[in-house]
Amino acid sequence: MSGDVRLRREFIATALLLVLLALVPLVTRDVYWLGVLVVSAYFAILASSWNLLAGFTGQFSLAPAAFAMIGAYGAALSAAYYNVPPIVGLIIGTGVAGLIGLVLGRIVMRLRGPYLALTTLSFAEIARLVASNSINITRGDLGLPLEPWFNDRVIWFYVFFGALTFVICGLYLLLRSKAGLFLEAIRDDEIAAARSGVRIVFWKTAAFAISSAAAGFAGALYAYFASLVTPELGLVQQTGLVVSMTVIGGMGSLIGPVVGAFLVYVTSEWLRDVGGWQLVIFAALVIMFARLFRTGLWGLVTTALAPRRRAAGRPA
Amino acid sequence: MLTGALAADLAVNGLVTGLFYGLMAIGLALIFGVLRIVNFAHGEFYMVGAYAYTIVAARLGVPLVLALPTAFLFGAALGWVVERTLMRPLYANIGSWGLMRDEYAVIVTFALSLLLVNFVDKAIGPYAFRAPALISASRVVVGPALMSGQKVAAALVTLAVLALIAFFLRFSYWGRAVRAVSQNRLGASLAGIDATAVSSLVFSLAGGLAALAGALLSPIINASPDVGAFPAIKSYVIVVLGGMGSIPGAFIASLLLGIVESFGAVLVSYQYRDTFGLILLILFLLFRPQGLFGERGREV
Amino acid sequence: MSPLLSVQGVTKRFGGLVAVADVSFDIAPGELVGLIGPNGSGKTTLLNIMSGHLSGDQGRILLDGEPCSGLKPQGLARRGLMRMFQLTRIFPRMNVLDNLLVGGRALGLAADEAKTRANALLEELQIAHVGHLDAGQLSGGQMKLLEFGCCFMRTPRLALLDEPFAAIHPTMKEIMSRFIRARHAEGQTFVLVSHDMPVIVELCPRSICMNAGRVLSDGATSQVLAAPAVIEAYLGGAAA
Repeated sequence: MSGDVRLRREFIATALLLVLLALVPLVTRDVYWLGVLVVSAYFAILASSWNLLAGFTGQFSLAPAAFAMIGAYGAALSAAYYNVPPIVGLIIGTGVAGLIGLVLGRIVMRLRGPYLALTTLSFAEIARLVASNSINITRGDLGLPLEPWFNDRVIWFYVFFGALTFVICGLYLLLRSKAGLFLEAIRDDEIAAARSGVRIVFWKTAAFAISSAAAGFAGALYAYFASLVTPELGLVQQTGLVVSMTVIGGMGSLIGPVVGAFLVYVTSEWLRDVGGWQLVIFAALVIMFARLFRTGLWGLVTTALAPRRRAAGRPA
Repeated sequence: MLTGALAADLAVNGLVTGLFYGLMAIGLALIFGVLRIVNFAHGEFYMVGAYAYTIVAARLGVPLVLALPTAFLFGAALGWVVERTLMRPLYANIGSWGLMRDEYAVIVTFALSLLLVNFVDKAIGPYAFRAPALISASRVVVGPALMSGQKVAAALVTLAVLALIAFFLRFSYWGRAVRAVSQNRLGASLAGIDATAVSSLVFSLAGGLAALAGALLSPIINASPDVGAFPAIKSYVIVVLGGMGSIPGAFIASLLLGIVESFGAVLVSYQYRDTFGLILLILFLLFRPQGLFGERGREV
Repeated sequence: MSPLLSVQGVTKRFGGLVAVADVSFDIAPGELVGLIGPNGSGKTTLLNIMSGHLSGDQGRILLDGEPCSGLKPQGLARRGLMRMFQLTRIFPRMNVLDNLLVGGRALGLAADEAKTRANALLEELQIAHVGHLDAGQLSGGQMKLLEFGCCFMRTPRLALLDEPFAAIHPTMKEIMSRFIRARHAEGQTFVLVSHDMPVIVELCPRSICMNAGRVLSDGATSQVLAAPAVIEAYLGGAAA
């Protein structure tokens, strides 16, 4: 099966999932559960953007939460000091995260595997420490308050679903174009990709910048939703959640991170009532998936649905 | 301003801190040398050691002479289990694994860290545990510096253990085997060295050392679920500075980092003291991936 | 005719070892040149310098009369220099068709054009039946054929093939050599590194023999193989 067909099928499945979830407000207008879905959508954007980097380009960054935090501070600081309207704050947050991602991506170009993981982890910690210690500017751990953009949960719900749909469509268009081919080629073998004439520096940096911008976009949007920005957004544990969601859902597929984000976050809210062991369970699940089913839930589903045709093959 | 007395005090304190860093970092370097991965759950071995010591000594009343080795054994056992269950695929079939290897190692150790922190948080509780003191003297004069008795006692044990480890790696059969596998896994196994056993050994040793560090420091920094995060980050910095996988490099870098931090906090900025090491880490990986002493070729 | 590729006094040292020592030769458009020599004679190092994977210490290389010594592999690929590696390099997690498309799209073919071309190549190399599989699932020989195909997604100005026939089934060797012969007849330029003397004799009108980093002999293949220095290098080295 061609990569095109695979990608289109994943896109259709994602679209169906999003349509189904978008119907939730018709069933319930419960503020708490709509809030849970909003946060899930936030994580779905983060996980999808990280997946572009880790799953499609092979750059295993440990900084997605840091870029979300940078985006959130971009919006909150410009609102606090220059009083910009939310839509401008959103653009600033996205842009700042994208620019920093561009620079970082260019700098870490040559690093791979554990080296890249360590470098991006350090970058994330530095960003968080700076945000938390620059008290005169960011108010440190107290956080920066923001005027809420909307007050109605249902509106917020649709705003986040709109944002997620936008990101997914963007990723689909990107991956369907020749960029998708080049990124996967770079992931599989950089030297072979260069031999074939792929501009390695350009595409790797572009992937880093796009992924960071998308994470920053999610962070900025979340800042207006939560109406408070704290350095906690950039905690390594948040990155841990993003990685967990992607691995459980299925790394390297368009739909995997979305499924993973909703499944993990909604279940964890639900499990919160039964003792709060959710993080232990998810961490164990991640290890199990990484060890036994590297293609995640989506991989399991595709194998189960097409056992004969793919008998000789590895699942999607 | 920096007076002679203050400088001496900072230097001694920095060196002692560096010794503790060494206990953590050497295990990480050993693992990287043999398995070519960074163990992102290294801090959790430290945490487990701190709890093991505290619970065994304080709750069960086991004498300290036995409680410290118990913590080591606990960490070593955990390391062994982790290696057996999770690290085997890294080298079980080198050929077909190839591509996903690095990602797998990061994901699994990262998730293991998450698992252990949250497990302890749920099973034991999020609050800090008070550990029994190693010795009763609260203040000891070390040369020009006045130090907490706990720190001095812990430093002495650390020195002894580090000497033992150095001796072991240098002269014993298994020590040579570890070095051989670090240099060339395939070559070593062709020469009849059981590379799989070496991997188990290294992971156990690293887990034990980190746990011992946690135990030794628990009277000063009480055990809590996230107590390992901080020493873990320090040991990443050290391993990079020392040249990924180099044991002597890691040891010297530990002492250096201890001293640099001790002076930097006073002379440069206390607020941003934790960022110095991280900035160094990034700069080294980018411009000098072979570390301070350049023992190895480029790995990047 | 002006040479397509001109290697002028190229030298490369690794520490004390001189891997390539003052090597010079020209390759005219349409030539099929065999590059031979015992193991460790510097063939692959020279190829690495030609394809931009290594930089030489001295000397220069001209492609179409323009110096190209500083260019990276992807830059050279864009100028029409294609390299096949000795150790197979493909994209194992992408399917066979996509493996081919990468090169086509990177070098400017439109999507449809690239697909047509890739399918034609798959047919010609007789691996169309595995086109839908991930490349990592292929047999070693099929991978070689795939990498070989990757070099011809856009007709290269010059194809550098490093041991394409090593350790593969005779049928696949036949597919490749037929392909090379056909393209050579159409005017395609090749440099072929191989230890397989019968194939060199059969395919290459001209050969260059290297030993210890130097060019021992350069000329018609039959003459090169008959040259005393070449025989000495092979027999002396192999002690056969």
